[in-house]
Amino acid sequence: MKKNHWLLGGTLLGIVFFLAVFLIKPVGVSTQFSVLSGKIHTAIAADVTAPVPGKPKEFTSTNAYYAKSKGKLVGNMQNLVNYDFIFVLSIPLGAYAASKLTGRKEQAITAMSKGSKLSQFALGFLGGAVILYGARLADGCTSGHMMAGISQGSFSGFVFAAAVFATAIPTAILAKKYLAGGK
Amino acid sequence: MSKIILSIILGSAFGFALYYAGAANRKNIRAMLRLEDLTLMKTILYGIGFASVLIGSSTLLGILDTAHFSIKSMNAGVLIGGAIFGIGFGLIGSCPGTSVASLPYANKVKTLGIVAGGLFGAFLFSLTYGNWVASGVFQALNLGKLTIFKISPKFPALFVMGAEGLLLLGLGFIIISYFLPTKFKL
Repeated sequence: MKKNHWLLGGTLLGIVFFLAVFLIKPVGVSTQFSVLSGKIHTAIAADVTAPVPGKPKEFTSTNAYYAKSKGKLVGNMQNLVNYDFIFVLSIPLGAYAASKLTGRKEQAITAMSKGSKLSQFALGFLGGAVILYGARLADGCTSGHMMAGISQGSFSGFVFAAAVFATAIPTAILAKKYLAGGK
Repeated sequence: MSKIILSIILGSAFGFALYYAGAANRKNIRAMLRLEDLTLMKTILYGIGFASVLIGSSTLLGILDTAHFSIKSMNAGVLIGGAIFGIGFGLIGSCPGTSVASLPYANKVKTLGIVAGGLFGAFLFSLTYGNWVASGVFQALNLGKLTIFKISPKFPALFVMGAEGLLLLGLGFIIISYFLPTKFKL
């Protein structure tokens, strides 16, 4: 890695966080996992949510989380072409462009994971489920709470970051020691 | 419609920055969390600091619409949720944003596992949200949308100092990031 690469990378991240706040709103990702899973849920069980008569943007739901904030989440589920969802869908586009443009080979994640495809999927699934469960309970993730939150001086952002690193550091060290796929 | 175009531009820029900064690489995240290589920590600290400086100074100049600020509430859920998040984060070295970012180029099986697991975890939370509400977790340590500095009359703040405080905090982060060693011996 180039000597001052952290400076360039950090500058770029900082500019994006700033531009997001300057132009519209701070960055955020994890809510969209609730929106998409809720979209699938309500597509299968349509009677979970219902519109509020006379109020086109409000919804009720038998699920307390969907019913929160006058059913704002349900509104986003019904129309996925909204700012927050498209923002998250666009993240891989930019990351792909960067992987092609910069041609920085050390960035490519080679097949470093050991184990069968099934065990890799299972470990990823377990990790992903724990991460998103925690993120939804905290009402944000490393993007919304930590990066966007702290850069606005949000108290909860600092608390979130402290809680995350308090468990992530020992877990990462133990995973390397005891987990074959963790390397 | 213009909002959708903006979301594509900003989302792509975020993905680009995550990749370029080395944040969308599970190997780098794990190396950081094991305290083996803190380069990514330097990058993130610097990024947050630089953003704080830009947000603080543009607020002072009066060119930033403070209605754009969005502060998340502080309650015990942040603490417990963060601790749960950290376990998964330490286990796989990925977070919601970086898992989505790495879809096009990382190990497909594992990345798809993370995203599918993420959808499942978020769904499980939606189903159990009522239990968390009943437990009183969101009322415990409830400080509301608290900020460190008074950046907007909308939010309670720890200090009366406003955007200049955020600017100084950002500079502090930048200084720490500059002096943080990438490797250190325990």
